[in-house]
Amino acid sequence: MSQAAATSVGLGMPNLPVAIIPGHPGVQSVEELRTNSRNVTAQQVIENLLAQPAEQKLAPEPSAREIVFRGTFEEVNAHFYEREWSDGLPVVPPTLEKIEEFLSFTDRAPEESLGILLPENRAATVWGVAVNGVMAGCRPQYMPILVALVEAMADPIYGVEHSGNTPGSDTLIVLNGPIIKDLDFNYTQGVLRDGFMPNTSVGRFWRLALRNLAGFRLHKNDKATFGNTFRVVLAENEEALAKIGWPPNSVDMGHAAGDNTVTISRCTGGGVIVSVTGSTPQEMMPYIADAVAKQTGWEIVFTVGSLSIGTLRPVLVLSPILAQTIARAGWSKDDVKRYLYEHARTPAWRVETLTDRWTDFPIGSLKQQVNLGRLPKAFHESDDPNRLVPIVLEADDFMVLVSGDPLRTNAYTFAHNGYLGFPAARKIALPKDWSERIRAMRK
Amino acid sequence: MTKKSNGSGQGGGLYEVVWPCGERKQALRPLAKRLDTLNGKTIAQLWDYLFAGDEVFSALEEKLRDRYPDVKFVSWREFGSTHAVNEKELLASLPQRFKDLGVDAAISSMAC
Repeated sequence: MSQAAATSVGLGMPNLPVAIIPGHPGVQSVEELRTNSRNVTAQQVIENLLAQPAEQKLAPEPSAREIVFRGTFEEVNAHFYEREWSDGLPVVPPTLEKIEEFLSFTDRAPEESLGILLPENRAATVWGVAVNGVMAGCRPQYMPILVALVEAMADPIYGVEHSGNTPGSDTLIVLNGPIIKDLDFNYTQGVLRDGFMPNTSVGRFWRLALRNLAGFRLHKNDKATFGNTFRVVLAENEEALAKIGWPPNSVDMGHAAGDNTVTISRCTGGGVIVSVTGSTPQEMMPYIADAVAKQTGWEIVFTVGSLSIGTLRPVLVLSPILAQTIARAGWSKDDVKRYLYEHARTPAWRVETLTDRWTDFPIGSLKQQVNLGRLPKAFHESDDPNRLVPIVLEADDFMVLVSGDPLRTNAYTFAHNGYLGFPAARKIALPKDWSERIRAMRK
Repeated sequence: MTKKSNGSGQGGGLYEVVWPCGERKQALRPLAKRLDTLNGKTIAQLWDYLFAGDEVFSALEEKLRDRYPDVKFVSWREFGSTHAVNEKELLASLPQRFKDLGVDAAISSMAC
């Protein structure tokens, strides 16, 4: 209910009436649900259709450069926390001076809008990016990355409006290009752990941007059942990739090798694949494929229908030594993806039980989906319920990355939230004087 | 409380700060005029194919017809899921579709 109330404000209709179903439909029998609908919901529906709701006005809001508060560090943080502008951790106070430092690292005009973000329909400007970058504890020189991230956030294909959905998925940010080393991003051991300022603060910025530029706040527009906190940025190990002749993720996302890019994708959860053993892909990949398949559970609904067909994009992160071992056998990244397509599979009975009995995302059957032409034949090659079916529609649906401890034989896999956070990538635009300034900083 | 900055940002250990949100770009929209009765009116059902909305709509139809025997419904089947991958296109098509179908009001569901 609170989400409906909060979301309707962003849509310009703060007085949009809603009717409730008592409890949750998912745990009611059909009879209970119909009784509740008749006895409780129907009357509210009738009132909502017949009684004109009172008009509401919204409180005026400050302009971008208006000073809204003056106080000590603690007072500023208390002020921001009370207004849900902070994530509960101390923020760096966004003063005009600090914001200007960030703006000096972009050639874009501060008032330029990078997009209008749902759910609050707010303009995400270069200025707003800088403000939240300051708050997150980023350094000013991270600004080009922050701008690219918000551009990607505003890409309709990503679906930022789903960022407050019930599963509570969080975004995986993948960074590519020379900017990784320019700004000292961690791209080796502990790449997904906090501790390196660039990876950590940019990850934090992402969630502050979702909060303040898009409008997601807990108990209002953000209805994650449990939620995840921000993920630190995963920078790919481009040296390792170059050594084995595999393209970086930037190329997979349609950019040129050597481009600085960010890729965003919402992942429901992940798991480490520990102690991958073997000196050939034939020995190593079955374990990896098994783990990738098992990480996708209910998310299969983004492949087989009911929520979407074919929008699932599972992620595999290989440590450099695993990638090198696989590549040494002559395998390309595409070979890895093809192997995953053929072998990261799940029993048909599990798919149909997940969709039609364990969750409320029914498809009827895989056979029906194939007969209707919605799924390829690979999903129904026989009626055997134990037959293994793919978790994606094609090999290229897998995202394969190389990062992490170069000498640990571990991999990592993320499950994906389908079209509710579809991968989107942006090239990072650097200011004209970037090289000189980075050189000067390094001295 | 708002103040104009003198540009320094910090003085005497105090910080002058701006707010972090963007400007709202959606003007308030007045709600459509409510109906005077449901008799003779056509109500569209919009469903995101979640949370047993089909059962809820079926029960609502029964109850609303009890009180308003001449109410008409356009089933959710006419429109498809409002939460599928084509959500934006579907929603954009609704004004014309409602016009074509003679819809007077709509019930959109389900959320949790």
